[in-house]
Amino acid sequence: MAQALYRKWRSQTFDEVVGQEHVVRTLTSALAQGRIAHAYLFAGPRGTGKTTMARLLAKAVNCLAEDGPKPCNQCAVCQALNEGRLLDLIEIDGASNRGIDEVRTLREQVNFSPNVARYKVYIIDEVHMLTPEAFNALLKTLEEPPAHVIFVLATTEVHKLPPTIISRCQRFDFRRIPLDLIVGRLRFIADAEGIKADQDALELIARSATGSMRDAISLLDQLSSYGSDSITRELVQAMLGAVSVEPLADLLDDVVQGDLKGALGLVAQLVDQGLDPRQLTAELLDYVRDLLQVKAGNPPSLTAAGAQTEARMRAQAEALRVEDLLRLSRLLTQASLEIKGNILPQLPLELALTEAIVKPEAAPAPAQSVQPAQQPKPAPRPAPAPAATPRQEPKPQPAPQEPQPVAAQPRREQPAAASAPAAAPASTAPAGEGIVDLDAVHHRWDEFVENLRTRTPRTLALSVQALLRSGAPLRVEGDVVVVGFPSEFHRHKANENAAKALAEKALAEALGVAHCAIRGVVVSPQELKAAEAARAGKKYAAPPKPTPNAAVSEATDPVIQYATNDLGAVAKPIAPEKPSSVEEETP
Amino acid sequence: MWNVIGHEWAVRLLSASLADGRLSHAYLFTGPPGVGKTTLALNFAQAIVCEGNPPPCQQCAPCQQVARLIHPDVRLVEADGATFKINQVRELEREAALAPHSARHRVYILAETERMSREAANALLKTLEEPPEPVVLILLASDAALLPPTIVSRCQGLDLRPVPLRELTQALVEREGADPAQAELLARVSGGRPGWAISALRDPSVMEARGRHLDDLQRLLASDLVERWEWAAGAPTDRRALRELLDNWVAWWRDVLLIAAGQGDKIANLDRREALEATAAWCPADAARAFLAQALRTVQGLAQNVNARLALEVLTMDMPTAPEIARIHGG
Repeated sequence: MAQALYRKWRSQTFDEVVGQEHVVRTLTSALAQGRIAHAYLFAGPRGTGKTTMARLLAKAVNCLAEDGPKPCNQCAVCQALNEGRLLDLIEIDGASNRGIDEVRTLREQVNFSPNVARYKVYIIDEVHMLTPEAFNALLKTLEEPPAHVIFVLATTEVHKLPPTIISRCQRFDFRRIPLDLIVGRLRFIADAEGIKADQDALELIARSATGSMRDAISLLDQLSSYGSDSITRELVQAMLGAVSVEPLADLLDDVVQGDLKGALGLVAQLVDQGLDPRQLTAELLDYVRDLLQVKAGNPPSLTAAGAQTEARMRAQAEALRVEDLLRLSRLLTQASLEIKGNILPQLPLELALTEAIVKPEAAPAPAQSVQPAQQPKPAPRPAPAPAATPRQEPKPQPAPQEPQPVAAQPRREQPAAASAPAAAPASTAPAGEGIVDLDAVHHRWDEFVENLRTRTPRTLALSVQALLRSGAPLRVEGDVVVVGFPSEFHRHKANENAAKALAEKALAEALGVAHCAIRGVVVSPQELKAAEAARAGKKYAAPPKPTPNAAVSEATDPVIQYATNDLGAVAKPIAPEKPSSVEEETP
Repeated sequence: MWNVIGHEWAVRLLSASLADGRLSHAYLFTGPPGVGKTTLALNFAQAIVCEGNPPPCQQCAPCQQVARLIHPDVRLVEADGATFKINQVRELEREAALAPHSARHRVYILAETERMSREAANALLKTLEEPPEPVVLILLASDAALLPPTIVSRCQGLDLRPVPLRELTQALVEREGADPAQAELLARVSGGRPGWAISALRDPSVMEARGRHLDDLQRLLASDLVERWEWAAGAPTDRRALRELLDNWVAWWRDVLLIAAGQGDKIANLDRREALEATAAWCPADAARAFLAQALRTVQGLAQNVNARLALEVLTMDMPTAPEIARIHGG
């Protein structure tokens, strides 16, 4: 079995290490000055060279070369290490040997002096997987190991290490490797291995590796065994299910033109051709990001964008506003997160495109719109495309004005007297011609809802009360009070016959009319808020209602009692503050 | 002769690397359930141990042993219960150190590795990077994004994508003897996953269950909330059955979206075209989209162990309502 290329081409000298100059410089100068620490911590993403660097370090401290750069890769120790037979390099898989027992064994062995080399080097890979007990058992050894021991801890998840471990090590953070450096290294390996590869193919490989050298070399390895003479961009695309730039530009054109049919058709076609929906989503996101760059006046970053594509991108960037691009990239980001484990991996992308193209329905389906001023305005579309967006029209709810059902008729079989005393006196309301006015409803609403609790049957009354508390009166149509509710559930409940009858009777009494009806509709939260606000405004703006028992309260107020009885005062209405309507009533 | 439907590029790559003697020590096959990962892995294992020509010959003793999962050097390791455990990985490491029994290599196929516990995955890392010489590890997972990146980066990844419609239909007719209309329906409903299509072909109960799910859905469209909740109360609570139900619903609603967008020829549920078109006539594309988004959230929620009945109640509440019903209730 051939050795994987990424193992075969592990860097053997510090100079070969790619993309981690900051680590290399610090380490080599420390080595040159003979300032070797007893514990190092290498942290960074996968495939950035942590294990490689650890082995290089082990080699450099033990190299026997008198002068010249270390490691020399010539001396006995270097060669033994390269061949993986140096006894003084102990590589421990932290994830498999994670318990306290393993650490105890290690502590015992640490004390023995090295076999042939100057230092015993312990490399603990995946060190974040040690158990907390194991970490604690390691602390003492890590702080003051024997002079002949060097620890190198390597991890991809440094945040999982206890701070007590981190503070005992010299820490080096490895960075993702830049694209051009990966391409350069790939080119070097390809040439050395006699693999023919196009430059743009290598670039695509490097891009898909997202900064991990191991990923990039693995992919090169894999492609080299594909059996064709040369690695081309098309081959890499077929392998990765990657997308060329033209379909992306086509998709964006569909978005610009509001062509939902075209967009969904193209996605279906691409996926059926064997493109990876995940890649498609990710690359469309990249494309949109590039459009943002173009919009901002920068050149697009896509390596393969030819002059033609660039012209198209400029036109698209022209047609879309920055907000549209931001919205689109948010939708696509969301979509790329939802793909995970989905049976239909293209669906999130399709939904994102639909959302981007189709105007949001103006307010779900409240019947004949209430207060147009309150409705959220659908975001204006960048490119007008009325023809392309197919059906917005068939509104599910034409909501024809049905004659109010039986419950609306005055039903007086139960004498109102039973609950009348608790109900508000119907004094101020316009005497019952059957016409209800919105102001009166606004004034009386709280009272009406509050008094519902005294109605029978009690459980129904309470549930009606709770229902109405979540709604608000919107308007009056003849003797029908239209009440807005936040959801279909509320509306449905409120329109049930028994509930309706009870509420209508109570409302009629509160308003002092012979009968009135209630009709529930579903409205958007904004509308509901507006209606609430309108009602509250009316209520507070309204003159304070004199309570019929004002006299009583004066008589029972202890202060007034004291004033009248003991001080001989006389209670009088304060005339100027009372509006005229009160004057009429007080007699 | 590779007995795999579709994935021609993957087959070519694997057989070429075998012919060149450039076998890698670790592979990762990813793709949705039923797309053909296990099939491809077993075929690859056959090719590795095959004694005939060209490998896999499907005739020689080793090939047949692999097919029956009794080859001493080829092991299919599956999750032990709900997860892949660290002990399974340790046992594998021990066993992998031994020399192969009869073949040149030992092949381990690890199924559903997305269910590996974190400890198991990390324990596997070192073996995965530099396994004993004659060992080939083949990891299977539904999505590489579900695995730790450290695992993914140590394997040669082959991402199996849905098989093109025509290819799958043809294969179902030619290899499985399906009736062409049936084959096309299965190919479409499966979303390009041969494994699913074949199991549905062999086991009629799969399609029957789907039929029930879609009947329920179509009935609920014309039901009010009370009926929908009654239905939700009686719906299955078993996660697997629920997932199946939701997958079927999602596919159905996606068809509504496609028809509403004017892409009626791309739909999956061919046998339901009438109901789909009737729905698309009153349900605007955006409403279908909103419901699909909600359904996907529900699927996700169920995976995270939310209360199944509550989730279904909320979902059915959000489902668009056919206009007749909406009118009766005076909306």
